[in-house]
Parts: sequence; C-alpha cells; structure tokens
Amino acid sequence: MVIYTYGVIDSKDTIDETIFGLEGAGVYNVSYRDIGVAVSELGEKMQEITDTNVLKHEEVIETLMTKFTVLPIRFSTIFNTKEELLLIVEFYYQDFKDNLDRLRNKVEFGIKVMWPAKIIKQRIAEVYNKRKFTVSIMADSPGKTFVKEKFEKHIIEKEFEEEAVRCIAVVDDYFNKIASERKIKKLQTENLLLNAAYLVGKDKQDDFKKAFEQLKSTPSDLKFLFSGPWPCYNFITLTKKPSSADYFNAEHMLNRLLAQQGLPERVQHDHEPRYLTGMNGGF
Amino acid sequence: MNRIIETDSQEAFVQEMEKIQDTLPSRIDANPKNVEKGLAKLVLTLVELIRKLLEKQAMRRIEGGSLSDEEVERIGETLLKLENKMQELKEIFALKDEELNLKLGPLGDLM
Repeated sequence: MVIYTYGVIDSKDTIDETIFGLEGAGVYNVSYRDIGVAVSELGEKMQEITDTNVLKHEEVIETLMTKFTVLPIRFSTIFNTKEELLLIVEFYYQDFKDNLDRLRNKVEFGIKVMWPAKIIKQRIAEVYNKRKFTVSIMADSPGKTFVKEKFEKHIIEKEFEEEAVRCIAVVDDYFNKIASERKIKKLQTENLLLNAAYLVGKDKQDDFKKAFEQLKSTPSDLKFLFSGPWPCYNFITLTKKPSSADYFNAEHMLNRLLAQQGLPERVQHDHEPRYLTGMNGGF
Repeated sequence: MNRIIETDSQEAFVQEMEKIQDTLPSRIDANPKNVEKGLAKLVLTLVELIRKLLEKQAMRRIEGGSLSDEEVERIGETLLKLENKMQELKEIFALKDEELNLKLGPLGDLM
C-alpha cells in the first residue's frame, strides 16, 4: 500500500465530500497543524501515465479547488507511509503556508503563441543580404567558407531571438496588467514563440479572456492557444532548502521509521526535493 | 471549473508540444540489444553540447573582431572537422539531430 498525493490544502479538517481518486480509492485529508494533504491509499506503486489516470488526478484537484485553496502536486507523487509524507509537510510547512496565502482565490491561464519561424528567418536574411553583414570573412578556403556560413547563420539566429523578445513583449502587454504573476518560456521550439502561464485573480478571469479576444482579433501571422482556468501548477515556489542539520534530522527520523518496519537504513541523501515541482498545466 | 481551450490550430500546437518533451528518457532502458545505442546517444549528446558551445564562443569572438585571419582559418577547419566527425558518428548509431537534444533547465534547450 502507498500514499498517493493530489494536493496540499488549506484545511486540517476531514473532507466532507466523497471524492473518488485513482483506482477508485477514496480521497482523505492527512492533516498537519492547520493544513493538510489530500491523498488516497493505493495498491500500485507507480501510476501508469494514461489519459484516464492523469485526468482523474486533475479531476480530484479541481474538485478540491471548489472548497479549498490547493497546491497541486505532480502526477504520481507517492509516499510509502503517512509518516514519510508528514515529514515532508513538516519540513515545508512555512513554504506551503506562504504559497497557500499567495495563491488564494487565484487560477492559472495558459497562453501559447506560434509564429512562422522559417518566414521570419527569411525576412531577416533578406534584410541582411541587402545591408551586408558587419563582419566580412573572405571565403577563400574550406575552413573560412565554413566559418562564414556559420557566422551568417549566427547573426540571423541572434536577430531572430531579438525579434522574439520584441514580439513576446507585445503579446505580454495584453495580459501582464491583469495577471498578478507570470511565467514565460521563450522559443521552446523555433515555432513556439511563447509558452506562458499567467496567475490571475478569480475576479479578473473575464478581463483576462477579453484581453485574449482583443489580441486574437489584431491582424498578425501568429497562432494562439488559450487555456484555463487551471490549478496553479506553475506558481508554487519552495524557498526552503534542506540544510545538513535538517537532513540529519530527517534522515534520523526516516531511518527510525525504516528500522520499525525491519528495513535497512537509507544511506544516500536525496539532495533535491522531488515533490511539488509542478506539472505543466498547459494544453 | 469552466475550462476553455481555444485555438484555431490545434494540430500545429500538438506537434510543437510533442517536440519539447524530453528526448532523453528519465530512466535508461538498458538491455543487450539497445545498450550500445543508448550509451552512444548519451555520449554524443554531451559531445554535441560541447561542440555547440565552442561554436558559439567562436562566433562571439568573430563578432567582436578579436580574431586574426589565420585564427579564423584555424577555427573554421577545426569546427568543420568536428562537425563532419559528429555527422559520421550519428550515422553509425542511426541517431537524428533532434535525438541529441538536452534540456538545460533555465538555460533552455541545447538545440
């Protein structure tokens, strides 16, 4: 049996509503001080990544969101025991509290923008060919010809990136006044100009949608994808880093728990928390 | 939640999103049949990273005008040979360029 986690919630109380999670298991609250973690007890250790499972995980979080502020946990985050889970909650308690306060009454929206990379690069190349490149390399040997080609490509790439920054600023301008925070990823692929997540107050959702309609109606060769509202997957920030003393205490406690179960002590440390790093809430 | 997903180009977005998934698997599936290719992919990805860095640095220096004609010649020859060698190795292990991508966290993707 393992403890499968869905999200951290701002309540220590029992969840009144009957919610069925993965494997049809009931969802209940494991509380710590004034907060809790919504979990299910499952038989399987690893949850297979299937549409049904991922959607179920998402559905549980969304149901929880109707009653609580939720810090969504990444799909398939599991703990062997409740004690192990509580150890993490205890460790990140202040971080969780801060995030719950910051994300209260907020939702996430995703904006993705594509542009025709090939055409943009062609346009840039045409401009440069007319103007000539600032550094001229004599292509009088294979080595120099190679460098010349690479250099021209490099200059076009650089201008392409600068153009992307300018273009993103124009798009972002529609939303940044409405959103309270944003996470922007530029050019994850050549064509995917922007992959952004915006944190928006629940009372400002309509304004945000209107801003998108406005942007979409402006003539351009951009393609858009708007999605949301989502749980705030991209806006959870954990500031507390485990110090060696914390490690010692955590390890000590874990080893005690392991010993109780007749298991060997854990020797290696996990230096990065694997928990709550957020999954992409986008499309 | 009344979720809206709105786009006029769903297919195009799906394709782009598929491209940004990790190319290196989270676990290496080592078995006697594929272990050689798996390791080659890992090693060549790292070699490609270093090659790209060298190339980028060279371009910056050319842009800054700090290289003499002979230096440009030497660098060109080195980069050319390196690229050809990589091409050869990729062919040997039947690896495509996009398979040698690497997510570099806040630095973005290698390619």
